Amino acid sequence: MAERGLQVAGVDIGGTFTDLVAFTGAGLVCSKSVTVAEAPAEGVAECLKLAGLAPEALSELLHGSTIVINTVLERKGTATALLTTRGFADVYAIGRANRPQSFALDFQRPQPLVGRQLRLEVDERIDGSGNVLRPLNRAQVEQLGAQLVAAGVRGVAICFLHSYRNPTHEAEAACVLRERHPQLFITASHEILREIREYERISTTVLNAYAGPKVEGYLGELSRFLVGRGFHGALQIMRSNGGTMSVEQARRQPVWMMESGPVAGMIGAAELMRLLGLKSAIGFDMGGTTAKATLIDAGVPLFRQGYFIGGPVSGQPMQLPVVDVIEVGAGGGSLAWVDAQGALRIGPESAGASPGPACYRRGGTFPTVTDANLLLGRLNSQRFLGGGMALDTKLAEQAVQTGVCEPLGMTIQRAAHGIVQIADTMMSLAVRAVSMERGIDPRDCTLIAFGGAGPLHAVAVAREIKISRVAVPRYPGTFSALGMLLAAWRQDFVQTFVAELADVDGTEVHRQFELMAAPGWRQLQKDGLDAATLELIRSVDLRYRGQDHALPVPLEGGPLDAASRAMLRRAFDALHERHYGHASPGEAVEIVNLRLSMRLPRDETLVRRLLAAPYRASASKQLESSRDVIFGDAQRPEAARIVWRGQLEAHDVVEGPAVIEEENSTILIHPGDVARVNEIGVIMIDVAPV
Amino acid sequence: MSGSRSPDPVTLEVVRYGVIAAADDMAAALCKTAYNMMIYEVHDFCCGLIDTQGRMIAQNRGGLPIFLADLGIVIRDGIEKYGPNGFSPNDVLLMNHAGVCGQHLNNVAVYTPCFHRGRLIAFAASRAHWVDVGGSRVGFGSSETTEIYQEGLQFRSIKLHEAGVPNEGVLQIIRDNVRFPDSVLGDLRAQIACCRLGGKRLSEIADRYGWDAATRCIEEIWDQAEAQARAVVSRIPDGRYTAESCLDNDGRELDKPLRVKVAVEVRGSDMTMDFSEMNPQVMGPLNAGYSGGLAAARVAYKCLTLPEAPVNEGSFRALHLVLPEGTFLSARPPAALGQWSIALPTVVDTTFKALASALPKRIPAAHKGDMGGYSIYGQDAQGRRFVLLNMTGGGWGGHVDRDGQDASVSICQGDVRNVPIEVQEAMYPVHIEHFKLRADSGGPGQYRGGLGIDTCITCLVPCKINVNLDRTRCPPWGLAGGLAGQSNQGLIRRADGREELIYKGTNVPLAPEDSVIFRTAGGGGYGNPKDRAPARVAEDLREGLISEAAARRIYGAGGA
Repeated sequence: MAERGLQVAGVDIGGTFTDLVAFTGAGLVCSKSVTVAEAPAEGVAECLKLAGLAPEALSELLHGSTIVINTVLERKGTATALLTTRGFADVYAIGRANRPQSFALDFQRPQPLVGRQLRLEVDERIDGSGNVLRPLNRAQVEQLGAQLVAAGVRGVAICFLHSYRNPTHEAEAACVLRERHPQLFITASHEILREIREYERISTTVLNAYAGPKVEGYLGELSRFLVGRGFHGALQIMRSNGGTMSVEQARRQPVWMMESGPVAGMIGAAELMRLLGLKSAIGFDMGGTTAKATLIDAGVPLFRQGYFIGGPVSGQPMQLPVVDVIEVGAGGGSLAWVDAQGALRIGPESAGASPGPACYRRGGTFPTVTDANLLLGRLNSQRFLGGGMALDTKLAEQAVQTGVCEPLGMTIQRAAHGIVQIADTMMSLAVRAVSMERGIDPRDCTLIAFGGAGPLHAVAVAREIKISRVAVPRYPGTFSALGMLLAAWRQDFVQTFVAELADVDGTEVHRQFELMAAPGWRQLQKDGLDAATLELIRSVDLRYRGQDHALPVPLEGGPLDAASRAMLRRAFDALHERHYGHASPGEAVEIVNLRLSMRLPRDETLVRRLLAAPYRASASKQLESSRDVIFGDAQRPEAARIVWRGQLEAHDVVEGPAVIEEENSTILIHPGDVARVNEIGVIMIDVAPV
Repeated sequence: MSGSRSPDPVTLEVVRYGVIAAADDMAAALCKTAYNMMIYEVHDFCCGLIDTQGRMIAQNRGGLPIFLADLGIVIRDGIEKYGPNGFSPNDVLLMNHAGVCGQHLNNVAVYTPCFHRGRLIAFAASRAHWVDVGGSRVGFGSSETTEIYQEGLQFRSIKLHEAGVPNEGVLQIIRDNVRFPDSVLGDLRAQIACCRLGGKRLSEIADRYGWDAATRCIEEIWDQAEAQARAVVSRIPDGRYTAESCLDNDGRELDKPLRVKVAVEVRGSDMTMDFSEMNPQVMGPLNAGYSGGLAAARVAYKCLTLPEAPVNEGSFRALHLVLPEGTFLSARPPAALGQWSIALPTVVDTTFKALASALPKRIPAAHKGDMGGYSIYGQDAQGRRFVLLNMTGGGWGGHVDRDGQDASVSICQGDVRNVPIEVQEAMYPVHIEHFKLRADSGGPGQYRGGLGIDTCITCLVPCKINVNLDRTRCPPWGLAGGLAGQSNQGLIRRADGREELIYKGTNVPLAPEDSVIFRTAGGGGYGNPKDRAPARVAEDLREGLISEAAARRIYGAGGA
């Protein structure tokens, strides 16, 4: 890789815009086009054209898309059936019986994606130790298959009890159906998830089968489109775990694409922090409707084992590992409003891209965070989106006047200042949630800010929770697409394996890890990749006996012997102490799950060439300007230095009050803060204490 | 000190988010480090910040709904005992005294004083259900106790740590008197860590804005909560609304139902709940202290006023409770309180029933009305002591415009999750035969009640079970012409095929291959079943949610 002439492109198809970042021998190019919902491939073609890239010259195209999550949220998947163990077809409808909105009389449970008539029971039974109590009734499966095809079903999810422990019945049923009905899209739970808890596993399996046929179609179309234009490189798909997979695997396991877009930026941030030599950082991405934060510890973004698609109240559980992104409803388009008791509130409703903030002149009349930033002088009305869109101060003023000033009896400046401060508070709580809640002191972290609005708010958010340094990478506005270029090919496996750490059979643990790795090796071969640089990363979920929540502890290579047992034990006690402030070194510790991650990282030289190329100013020195900007005191605007980022040379210093403007983003430097451009063009800001 | 000047609106919002986040952080830490499923699955706990007068600054979201701003009484007892100057930094206090707290002794409160620049500003408190506190009961749901002394240890505002020094004597008493000391002491550590975290968060806020300014914000937040609740109540027509229902018995005297009688009086923006005609206190453990009656009144009030808003001292200022001493919801010591919360869902539902005529669009028909749990215990094949506790759902009532929800936990349990089948089978010596929706259990109506659950559990080793099914005399009622849902049913099927019905039982022995079948209640229906759209009847029939017989007999459908 990274040969001369190599061209790699990342394409992030979002709800509003399709972003492209490509690396060519000459450097980085970016482009942005409007997403065409009915024909997403056209947005890709447009971006390639704008960037001046020929498909045939690309060696690789990395792709992230919201297609899977939208299919689920809009309930537009295929007619799907679920096969379960006899007696348990309703587990999928009953779920965990919980009501997250405790006091809502009109609560709504998650609506299964498969109705009761298509939840079918099969004669078979395996017990909690993996023993077969009743063999699989093959004839019955054959008969059900014919019945499903006749009913027009295309997706089939198979999830039997205890298949995480013994998958033979599931495998046999899947095999019978695949042989007889190749037109069905079949997913057996053990093929994607081998973790105890039947409801969550059923739901994850159904999500895959439900989205499968549609995604298969979409990816097929995109491949044909690209090949039709001469593309003969590899098409790689971003997955929720922050890695990539081949398009072949994505067609079979689309559920892994769920958070395809949002995680890519965090991967970019992780690579950047490694280059900068930072120990811990928080990725902070603020766009139009939400702000997102992820803790990145020693270059590795934090993971969550599963979440709810569509929110925890009525959402569908998805139990696969995902980069842990905490989201708050505060973006540039978030609406400011006054509640019945006279409190000023922000979001969660957003003006989105249409009608957008009032100042966009697209018919929006409610005040938004972007309107407030404009009125504070923080945004340049002439240079938004590189001058592509002029902002209307008058309309912003009207919206804030009617929406906030009148009900609260405030001046425009005070109202705008209040809106931004409340948004900053909300975002700082999200940033705090990803750090302090996990025992990480934010004061030891650097905030890496990106997304269109991230660099505008980053310094205030950082100061609020005592983070002393903010880093703004180059191209912050299209950083997610850039992140894709840095993502590793990656497979994650989990295996529930409950045992006491003190007396577990080390050989058996080793055997389990080998079994877990087998499908990864097969995929590697299928994808035609070279295993020379493959990394195998093992970890063990541990807890004190009696606890429910387990913490993953890395397990270094080699067998599990007395020494590694003791090491695991010490590491777990220390981790528990760090996360929760107490530990119990005298108590029994239990293994719950084994985890294995197989990664083929990007060539280090490519990463360096993408992120660490020596930086030079790209624009000639022009006359710098100055403008009145409101920072800490709404009554007293301060004259701020206005700088075009492209004019800055490495080692230049910009002291606040200042605004650094660029094509797709704006960096705000408050009075007392100092920004320095480092040798690779990253702007490092020292944040003054409160 | 309030009212001098109203706080700056931006500081107000920052403090509002800050104190709630502090309480939520406490809860997250407690949940993740607790040792017993009553905390991490059932969420039988609450955390919060209390001011020096015992007023609730903020409480965590997502805990068990019955804990509503009721930690103040705990703190006030400590202040009375030690005096306002009787606390030092790094004190840790322990409290579960029945006469003061009015809840079962398993609910143990742990709290720490919070100091800022040398001044006591508040307390961080947590209450959590310990799996055991000694006494004669094992697990959950025993009906056998008749006085509090049989139910375990009592701690009345005991300093477990004094200025950072642990009281080894108290720890020893706990270790020697509870059945699962590892679990209990683990939970205790988790509670202490959670309170310390709350105190730390609060001092961060005080550092930033000064405690006096923060206090002004907090008082303003209370005033806003009160005003919001009043605004909702003032839209309910004035009047006195009454309703009655009953519980089957107290578990001791099986032929004596317990009267649940409620009057709700609405005057302007004030609401008074009058529980003075509740059944007198009973011999069995189905009593609660005043705190039980208060919890039921507050849950009902909160559902009707501000279901989504965070809880604080202002949330309930405009709610008044009339509850003289001596009812089963305001029992005098030494009444047994082991099942203090079991009656509460029925009390809440009866309160809703009273208001159904005043709020026909908002009040659904009755839900399953009990806590729906079982507890199986004994020794597994390796000789290890086990207790399997599980909470299951049931049907909720139909609404004016839609069917009730299926298989959900009661109004007094919020984010309580059942134990997965695979976890039950992998960790405990049981085998589950089936777990399914109970067809025909939803009360018929134009909008029918949600369905209960049908579970069959077979034991693999000799063990014992506590069963606590209620509401068979008064199944979940319908509204506006809708019919009642099917009531709870319990059945033991012995290995030799004999069957016996079981509703309430303590320490009932089960032999290997004996099965227990639970069928939980369906919700009540709303509106006349004859008015149900034929398409919906046909759909229910196709999905197997009602039988053909029911479709014909109740809904007058011709079959599929």
